[in-house]
Amino acid sequence: MNFTASDLPAQWITLLAAGMLVIQLLMVVQRMLLTSIRLFALQSLMLVAIAAIIAYFHNNAADVYLVAGLTLVGKVFFLPWLLNRLVRRIRIDQEIAPLLNSTSSMVLCGALTLLGYIVARPFTSLERLGNNTLAVAITLLLTGFFLMFNRRKAISQVLALLTVENGVMLAAVALTSYGMPLVVELGIFFDVMVAVMVLGILVYRIRETFASMDVSKLSQLKG
Amino acid sequence: MNLLTPILILPLLAALLCLLVPSRRFMSVANAFAFGLVLALGTQLLREVVANKVVTECGEFFRADALSAWMVLLISVVSLGTSFYAGQYFQRDLAAGTVTPARVKEFFVLTPIFTAGMLLVVLANNLGVMWFALEATALSSVLLVALYNRRTSLEAAWKYVILGSLGLALALFGTVFTYAAAIDRSSSTLPSFNWSHLMSSSAQLNRGMIKLAFVFVLVGYGTKAGLAPMHTWLPDAHSEAPSPTSAMLSGVSLKVALYALLRFHILTTACLGSPFSRTVLLVFGLGSMCLAAPFILVQTNLKRLLAYSSLEHIGLICAAIGLNSPVTIFGALLHMGYHALTKPVLFFAAGNIHQTCHTLQMRSIGPGLASVLPLTVVCMGLAGVAATGLPPFGLFLSEMTVLSGSFAAGHIAVSALLILALLACFYGILYQLTRIFLGTPRTPRTTNTASLGGVPAMGFMLGTLLLFSVWLPNPLLDLMHRAAAIIGGDQ
Repeated sequence: MNFTASDLPAQWITLLAAGMLVIQLLMVVQRMLLTSIRLFALQSLMLVAIAAIIAYFHNNAADVYLVAGLTLVGKVFFLPWLLNRLVRRIRIDQEIAPLLNSTSSMVLCGALTLLGYIVARPFTSLERLGNNTLAVAITLLLTGFFLMFNRRKAISQVLALLTVENGVMLAAVALTSYGMPLVVELGIFFDVMVAVMVLGILVYRIRETFASMDVSKLSQLKG
Repeated sequence: MNLLTPILILPLLAALLCLLVPSRRFMSVANAFAFGLVLALGTQLLREVVANKVVTECGEFFRADALSAWMVLLISVVSLGTSFYAGQYFQRDLAAGTVTPARVKEFFVLTPIFTAGMLLVVLANNLGVMWFALEATALSSVLLVALYNRRTSLEAAWKYVILGSLGLALALFGTVFTYAAAIDRSSSTLPSFNWSHLMSSSAQLNRGMIKLAFVFVLVGYGTKAGLAPMHTWLPDAHSEAPSPTSAMLSGVSLKVALYALLRFHILTTACLGSPFSRTVLLVFGLGSMCLAAPFILVQTNLKRLLAYSSLEHIGLICAAIGLNSPVTIFGALLHMGYHALTKPVLFFAAGNIHQTCHTLQMRSIGPGLASVLPLTVVCMGLAGVAATGLPPFGLFLSEMTVLSGSFAAGHIAVSALLILALLACFYGILYQLTRIFLGTPRTPRTTNTASLGGVPAMGFMLGTLLLFSVWLPNPLLDLMHRAAAIIGGDQ
């Protein structure tokens, strides 16, 4: 039932997972907010493609098709559209303002990628799909955390959170080849949608109250 | 008769009604009514669990054992007490113009959803469902934290949602890993993700994967449970939220996250058969207590003081479970219950004080608060005495149980640390509270309606606390012994 590494679909999955990692690294060095949102949409599209390949070549399960469809609608179209609208509506300046400059960020993320591969190494035999998909998933988590701490703009922190979530989904399909049970997948999907809306509401209110979206201004509470 | 489904649906119905009906009085009554019914059903659930061990519904989708039934009781009692307090609290806030009617409606709609989410966490059998229920509680409570829309409350809400979501993302990784550990490599059918199923096949799980999963879940749910060093959102969120929400966050929400962590702890111990997970729990529990103590001693903000006290209590519960003797686990469960009844009283009183003095800085509140808000101060004093672990209140009993169990099991160094941290918090809280209560007021304050408000709610919680401090009915004792046995590892 499992793929062998020489299968064409398995190679596609490996390629797409690697693509997700590359996009993550592009987001690390990206300075424009709207481009970052597009990159996130592209990364989600690759996740959809992986799910679709699994569903088509592997198990033909209606569940996996459904999850792929929902991800396509939700993460490739709806969320980027929502974030775009938010960015335009509150008329923020485009620059993301990272704490570390892009060269050192890139080096650090290279180290994080290495760490991801080391953590995933003992478990490669458990992967049901592709090569190193688990390592990519853990790397997405680690670099997502880095993105979150390296950004001062509230919306780019939201984007970082979403890439971490993409990583979880990749881990789920890589390890199980079906993803999680349908009820769990649906629950996670709706939670993510609601989470972005809640975050959007907060961003909007922060923008109104502070006349800025710079989260480093949120520093009154101490001790 | 179906029990679990109505327990979950009642709060959601209340939320829906509150959304549709504009009357504020109706909204607060609907909340109280729903939580009261949930409490009644929870008591019924207690009886059934004592009789039949496990109650399942909807094809094992919902499952309640002794531990879940205990949590249902805690959640419903705290929600009920909060709904008694919230109506008048917001009436005064509206009169003072600090909130808009739309925000009050938001409170009455989101609070039952928050409660329903917590109930789903403890009643779900599927670990994935447990995860998204916990995420739902985080999302509903975030908007409650931001309710006042002040700069500081927005900051607190932002930290809470970002750290909370990061934690929950880690927990989701852990959950996925747990599922992956259950996959049988040779068969093509997928395993069930139910906790009961995982427990029954715990010997066949992939051990390395389970260990990795526990680390992720510990950091993830540990963030939500406020364990140090992932606790940084906790004092902010608890101090900036409206007092009824603070009471729910401190009283039960932390414990619900700890419950989720415990489920994984039980599974990990059953699979590995080693003290790995309990040692980690002990270390994090002790760390939280030792970290809370200095912050309590030097705290200047009343509600932050209470938040750090919650950190200390959750640390004690966690450490007691980590010690893993039947006595300490029983003590931890007892402590959960008594703390859930005590902490809301303190937050309600802090709410009254905030509305009267318009500040939470203890320097400007006191001294001499006793002559301004006598009833509030009496309630807060009693609850403060209870929270520091003095008799006749139950927390004395539970802390002694934990300590004696810890000494009996021969953990001398751990016990000494526990005593030290408890003493520091004891001194800190009593010192800070007496400083604002006693003496003569520096600035003359006019007593407003807040002086009487909230007393029924505080009386209800304190009365319940005192009642159960001196009298633990047999079914309840039975339930707690069973819950302790579940955490201890024998089914």
